[in-house]
Amino acid sequence: MSALRSEILTLYKSLLKEGRKFSNYNFRMYALRRVKDNFRENISETNPKKIEEFLSFGKQNLESLKRQVIVGNLYKMDDLVIEKKTL
Amino acid sequence: MAALALGFRRSLALSARAFLTVAPKAAASSISNNHLHTKQWNGPQTSSLLVSKQLKVQLLQNYSSKPISIDDLQERVLTLLRAFDKVTAEKLTVDSHFINDLGLDSLDHVEIIMAIEDEFGFEIPDGDAERLAKPADIIRYVADREDIYE
Repeated sequence: MSALRSEILTLYKSLLKEGRKFSNYNFRMYALRRVKDNFRENISETNPKKIEEFLSFGKQNLESLKRQVIVGNLYKMDDLVIEKKTL
Repeated sequence: MAALALGFRRSLALSARAFLTVAPKAAASSISNNHLHTKQWNGPQTSSLLVSKQLKVQLLQNYSSKPISIDDLQERVLTLLRAFDKVTAEKLTVDSHFINDLGLDSLDHVEIIMAIEDEFGFEIPDGDAERLAKPADIIRYVADREDIYE
C-alpha cells in the first residue's frame, strides 16, 4: 500500500514539474490544472485494479507531456499581457 | 606566530594576483565591470595587505550570500505556507500538522514541498519529503541543509 502510495505521489510531483516547463502560459496552466484536478478527482479510489490503471495512465501521460514540452518550446511565443512582470 | 601571519598574508596576496589575471577577462565582457575593476584594482604596486582587504570585500559581495538567521528562515517558511490557498492562516503555527491539523491531503503536501524547493533552490528527495509533516520539520530540514544554527 505504502509503496503504491509513494509511487503515486512521485508521479504527481513529476507531472507537475514537467507541466511547469511549458513556456506557453495556456499550455502550462492547462497541464497543471489537468494534473491537479484529475488526481483529486480520484483521490478516494480504493479499487486496486482501478488505481493500477490510473497509475499506468499517468505514466503514459508523463511521457507524452515530456514530448509535448519539447515540441511546445520549439515554437515559443511572447509572454501574454497577463504574465508580464511589473515594470 | 609572526611567521604564520606572514605566510597567510603571502598566500592571500598570491590568490589576489591569481584573481588579477582573471579580472581583465571578466572585465572585457562588460563595460560597467571594467570601470569597477580599474577603480578597485589599481595594479600590483598596491601593498599586499590592501589588496587582500579588497579581495575580501569583493568575495563577500560576489560569491557568498548573507547568512540568514533561524528566525528569518521561520518567517520565510510561514509566509510561504500562508500564501498557499488551502492553508487557513489563523490555524497555522510551526507545530501544526499539515494533514491532521490543517486538513490538507497528501497531494497538497507534495505541492507544499515543491514550493519549499522553489523558495530555497534545492531538491528534496521523496523519502525526506515524507517525513516533513509540520512547518517545524521543514524549518529544521532547511536549516540543517543551509548550515544555520540557533
